Amino acid sequence: MKTLLKKIYDWVDERVEIQGLVEYMGKKYVPVHPHSIWYYFGGVSLFLFIIQVVTGILLLLYYKSGEELAFESINFIMSKVQFGWLIRSIHSWTANLFILSAMIHMFSVYFEKAYRKPREITWVTGMLMFFLLLGFGFSGYLLPWNELAFFATKVGTDIAGVVPVIGKPLLIFLRSGEEVTGATLSRFFGFHVAVLPGIFTVFLAIHLLLVQRQGMSEPLHISSKSERKTMPFFPNFILRDLTLWLLVLNLLAILAVFFPWELGKKADPFAPAPAGIKPEWYFLYMFQTLKYIPGKLWFLDGEVLGILLFGIAGLLWTVVPFWDHKSARGEQNRFVNYLGIFAVLYIIIFTIIGWLA
Amino acid sequence: MNSHMKDGQPVNEKKRDFLKIILSGGVLAFIGAVVYPILAYLIPPKEAEVVVSSVKAGKLNEIAKDSGKIIKFGTKPVILIRTANDELRAFSATCTHLDCTVQYRKDFGTIWCACHNGKYDLNGRNISGPPPRPLDEFRVTIQGDDILISKKA
Amino acid sequence: MKIASLVFILTLLVMIVPCDNAAAQDKCLECHQNSGDKPSELFTHDVHYTKGISCAGCHGGNSGTDDMEQAMDKKAGFIGVPKGDDISKACAVCHASSEKMKSFGSSMPTNQWENLQTSVHAKLTLGGKEHIAQCTTCHNAHGIVSVKNPSSPVYPLNVVKTCTRCHANAAFMRSYNPSLSVDQLEKYRTSVHGMRNAKGDAKTAECASCHGSHEIRSAKDIKSKVYVSNIPGTCSTCHSNADYMKAYKIPADQYEKYSRSVHGIALLQNHDLGAPACNGCHGNHGAAPPGVESISKVCGTCHALNAELFSSSPHKKAFDERHLPECETCHGNHEIIAATDKLLGITPEAVCSRCHGERQNAKGYLVAKSMRGWIDSLDSEEQRVISMVNDAEQKGMEISEAKFKLKDVRQARLQSRTMVHAFNEEKFIEVIGNGLKTTAFIAEESNTAIHEYFFRRIGLVISTFILTILAVSVYLYVRRLERNQRRRDHENSHI
Repeated sequence: MKTLLKKIYDWVDERVEIQGLVEYMGKKYVPVHPHSIWYYFGGVSLFLFIIQVVTGILLLLYYKSGEELAFESINFIMSKVQFGWLIRSIHSWTANLFILSAMIHMFSVYFEKAYRKPREITWVTGMLMFFLLLGFGFSGYLLPWNELAFFATKVGTDIAGVVPVIGKPLLIFLRSGEEVTGATLSRFFGFHVAVLPGIFTVFLAIHLLLVQRQGMSEPLHISSKSERKTMPFFPNFILRDLTLWLLVLNLLAILAVFFPWELGKKADPFAPAPAGIKPEWYFLYMFQTLKYIPGKLWFLDGEVLGILLFGIAGLLWTVVPFWDHKSARGEQNRFVNYLGIFAVLYIIIFTIIGWLA
Repeated sequence: MNSHMKDGQPVNEKKRDFLKIILSGGVLAFIGAVVYPILAYLIPPKEAEVVVSSVKAGKLNEIAKDSGKIIKFGTKPVILIRTANDELRAFSATCTHLDCTVQYRKDFGTIWCACHNGKYDLNGRNISGPPPRPLDEFRVTIQGDDILISKKA
Repeated sequence: MKIASLVFILTLLVMIVPCDNAAAQDKCLECHQNSGDKPSELFTHDVHYTKGISCAGCHGGNSGTDDMEQAMDKKAGFIGVPKGDDISKACAVCHASSEKMKSFGSSMPTNQWENLQTSVHAKLTLGGKEHIAQCTTCHNAHGIVSVKNPSSPVYPLNVVKTCTRCHANAAFMRSYNPSLSVDQLEKYRTSVHGMRNAKGDAKTAECASCHGSHEIRSAKDIKSKVYVSNIPGTCSTCHSNADYMKAYKIPADQYEKYSRSVHGIALLQNHDLGAPACNGCHGNHGAAPPGVESISKVCGTCHALNAELFSSSPHKKAFDERHLPECETCHGNHEIIAATDKLLGITPEAVCSRCHGERQNAKGYLVAKSMRGWIDSLDSEEQRVISMVNDAEQKGMEISEAKFKLKDVRQARLQSRTMVHAFNEEKFIEVIGNGLKTTAFIAEESNTAIHEYFFRRIGLVISTFILTILAVSVYLYVRRLERNQRRRDHENSHI
């Protein structure tokens, strides 16, 4: 077995000269310190992305886009296709776990200030991927064309339409028309399986290449010490990563069996919205915030103000490497920490409030 | 004190082999547990698809003139009628009186409900007996040889 | 002489004083009687006359003077011969006022004019200027007597003649309601009510008994006494009154029984207008209980299939020979309760056992036993598969197609209960067989769904087992790897 592998390796190496790359990879090390655990969340996010691609492609083999058939085709997958229930539930659960894992990854990187020089681009591509991820979640949610999704999309695109200046064209672009219709479904399908994956992959490739090239960032207060424990990326860190991935896979299987993802009722544009409609949890804190902003503040619509606030917050967050000069110098930045704690608490509290409401 | 040094090679090798065996076995079982569902998934199910907003009600040559047949439309029964003038019509087959399933009676020339002698004309209108409302109409379209029944917009 | 003149004057006075009564006041009547006109002749028999009301009481004017111009002076309120609605308005002046009626010592109702105006007779005539019916149309103008007076046109025995003056006139009715029939009298005379009425029974029902008098509405009007859901109540006004019906020697419990029956509950509680009221089985104007041999035809107007099957079954001849009232024999007439399977079979409560026993009419006994057995098996199978489908649904499995087929089982159950009436074992088993085929299919689907449920959980256990073993062994492998690396580093550092 080993000689066979070696033969294949040599054959490829003669043509592509990967020996240099392999040696380089073999030298990659991962710092070992009390905060090392956070390193795993990037890998878990990657694993979940791979799961989404695989299950997504499998679903694509049976899903039928279009008003008349979308709902029924998913019903078909859940009931008639062997293990269809498993693939679909894993896909839906993974979407949520993916966003959660990405948030943890993002916040851990933030608090460790790993975005500081020389990793600014890594951070920016990561943030862009995060926004694309939310787009994945929003577009994918509509694809079953069920009642909840229909109205959630209506509300969500309504909010997008509130953005000043570009709001209306943006709304029409998203909805493929004035209202949420079968045309919206087709467009979201295109976004979800082609446009977003394409763009995401580009950013992911840049992100991973940079991580491999630059190695793992170390926390500030530890790099100030002289003692540095490390472990080789390959095979140690990879195998540890793999162990965690297996546990995550097991968790997904358990969720799929005991908490299968519901399908609900088919969307009926003429029926009234069901009571208590709210978006998925990862949009909930923004949704709840908008509810608390008064209808009108000075000359601005409350909703416009809310969207602008979140937009500006998102923008500042994305460009933090460029205004946090202290961390670039290697100094502790308490302000950034406090800002981060505020953000985490705000998100958690408002998500809970939104859930209970 | 390193145990492996003291005890020598055999124990070390045994441990290594046992773990490697479990590991290899585990990897193979894992691959099987992942590949099997995916392969089973790829095998198309018996029914090509379940579609409920429109239903194929058979071929034109499967329904005779001046006859009717009951089709399943999602969870509801629908009666497909081919009149003596070769027109195809479809209505809900649930009687509007007390929910029995209606049928086409060639001898009456009407749709008839066996439960309490309710009658509907070939436009679904209730014309005799207890039914209080007409039958809901469905749209019939012909695609080549196939008859397609769908909900009326 | 003086005393005689005194007596004469006194007598004259005495004569004058009594003349202070209506007759003396009613100069109109005096004059018109002298000219010999019919109304004044009739009026002396009129109840208003006996109450002291003069001609001016309706016509207005001054009845105290015999000067024509003064008496018939418009300024004195004279209205001449009222025409159209003015007639009824004139009657209503008193008859719609309870004070006025009390002042004449009458406790009659005062809502007749009000009712008439909302009735079907308030329609305008062809000329469009007045209601079709005025008070005088039915009560006459000048010889009005109490409704209890046999010479009144609205006395029970005379009502029919009064109503049919218009309602049996086809040409007349056609100009108002072409689709309304005009043969009610003909039918009525074939009914029990009509025949007794013709013989002089004033207690029996005539037109007004059911349709009302002033407040007559179309039968399609929900407020009509003969609107289909009101009919049982209307009939029971007499037919549930035991004292009233005593002389006729028929029971008075039909309404009570009917309201407990399937038809009664359907009509009276569930407002199912397809359910029969009394007239559905007994007829309207030609009301009579259906003849023994025609009962299945009557029931068969709705229960067509059952009647057809019965008529071609061996029971038809057997029942007719024994003068058994067909459907009623097993199902009752007024108190028809929902037929359950218990009606069929050979148990004491089954109706079959009334005629069929192990040793008498034994063939029927065996058929009844068999049919009951089959229907029970379909029932229990239906219950079984319903609970299986529910189980699968509860477990969250997709079972909509099997659930759809439950409708077919219900249909088979209904069909089998209808097929009982053919009293033919072979046909019966065929229908039940179809039902059992469907239940077998449903059971299979449900079983598959339930197995899938357990398959998933067992599959999860196995996968968890594999994943756990793999994760643990990978982890142990890593630990060992790191131990070896540390050993190598340690060794290398010593070299």
